[in-house]
Amino acid sequence: MARIARGDPAALGELYDRHGRTVFGALYRMLGAPEPAEEVAQDTFHAVWRRAGTYRADRGSVRTWLLAIARNAAIDWRRTKGRRTDREAAIDEAAELVEEIRVDDRVIASLRAERVRAAVASLPAEQRIVLSLAFWSGLSQSEIAARTRTPLGTVKSRVRLGMSKLRDQLRPETEGA
Amino acid sequence: MTEHPLDDLAAFALGVLDPEESARVERHLASCASCRAETQAFAETAWVIAETQGRDVPSRVRAAIVERARAEGPGRSSLADFFRRPVPLLVPVALAAVLVLSLAGYGTARRDADRYAAVVAQTVGAKVVPLAATGAVGGIRGSLVIPANGAAPYLILDLPPAPAGKTWEAWVIRGETPLRAGITDERGLTTLTLSASVASGDTVAVTSEPAGGVDAPTGDPVLAGKS
Repeated sequence: MARIARGDPAALGELYDRHGRTVFGALYRMLGAPEPAEEVAQDTFHAVWRRAGTYRADRGSVRTWLLAIARNAAIDWRRTKGRRTDREAAIDEAAELVEEIRVDDRVIASLRAERVRAAVASLPAEQRIVLSLAFWSGLSQSEIAARTRTPLGTVKSRVRLGMSKLRDQLRPETEGA
Repeated sequence: MTEHPLDDLAAFALGVLDPEESARVERHLASCASCRAETQAFAETAWVIAETQGRDVPSRVRAAIVERARAEGPGRSSLADFFRRPVPLLVPVALAAVLVLSLAGYGTARRDADRYAAVVAQTVGAKVVPLAATGAVGGIRGSLVIPANGAAPYLILDLPPAPAGKTWEAWVIRGETPLRAGITDERGLTTLTLSASVASGDTVAVTSEPAGGVDAPTGDPVLAGKS
């Protein structure tokens, strides 16, 4: 990140090589099609290039910062450029938190994917659905509450409980990675 | 310190809080290491979930990203450039208070300016750092207040209306890194609690930015001072 902040385009390329696949996949899930995912992925890494100097290691890892930027960019894209049908389609497609896991050819990634699948499967259905909307629909908790006709407090507690369980079960995966 | 917003940290990490809730959590995180760690753990969990959805990307995407960065050059903000120049002199607090009061005393200042001076002068139990007006905007003044009891730092501001479509945004500049510290659309005498912590040696600045605020400053500072 320091090299990116100093203006080294090769360092941006390396960051992309490490995380581009995940960022693109998440954007694809949020936007429901490859073209907008490509466009927003480019915008995301461009934002990283411009804002690298504002990255704060004490607020989290580079990859979570990157994902947060990508998610915000996807939400902006949907609000400004997405057609209504695209938005609805993306929300429908948010039905499963983890669908058709696409692992790359690294063995460690496929092992990890299996653990994630098992952790997600262990969640009660109502937590999985709310988390899936939170992850992939780009809706806020209050929007999810309105859309699913569920009290906001219930949505909040499902997000909190579901995420807490996933965090606890996946903790070895997230440490030091 | 406010109560820990434990119930909202997972939602904050996912970015699904409503804006005002999100701002409240962000303010808390600025001064709470344990909630920051908790939020980071949730953010890492989100990353692991996202990773399972990874997809191969057409190679043109990488080429476009690197080429755009190369063509555009380093993404430095004008604010970072500004602070590579010498930082405005630190005016001792007592002297600053005298200056502010005497300026107000000339009678040409607006009523808010009188109140501004009074508010600054009445601040006790805190370190007060006057921010220098850079001349980019007239009729603006501000002071950084760092309460001795550990409460969040804030600015006392006397603001002209922000330019059309703009908002006033505060920054804490640590080294060369500007951290977002809050926005206000107020005019006249107001206070702005900073959402970023201020350490000794940090510079605090105010710029005008597109409405809603931005993640990295785009405008020249209108006020600046070193804590």
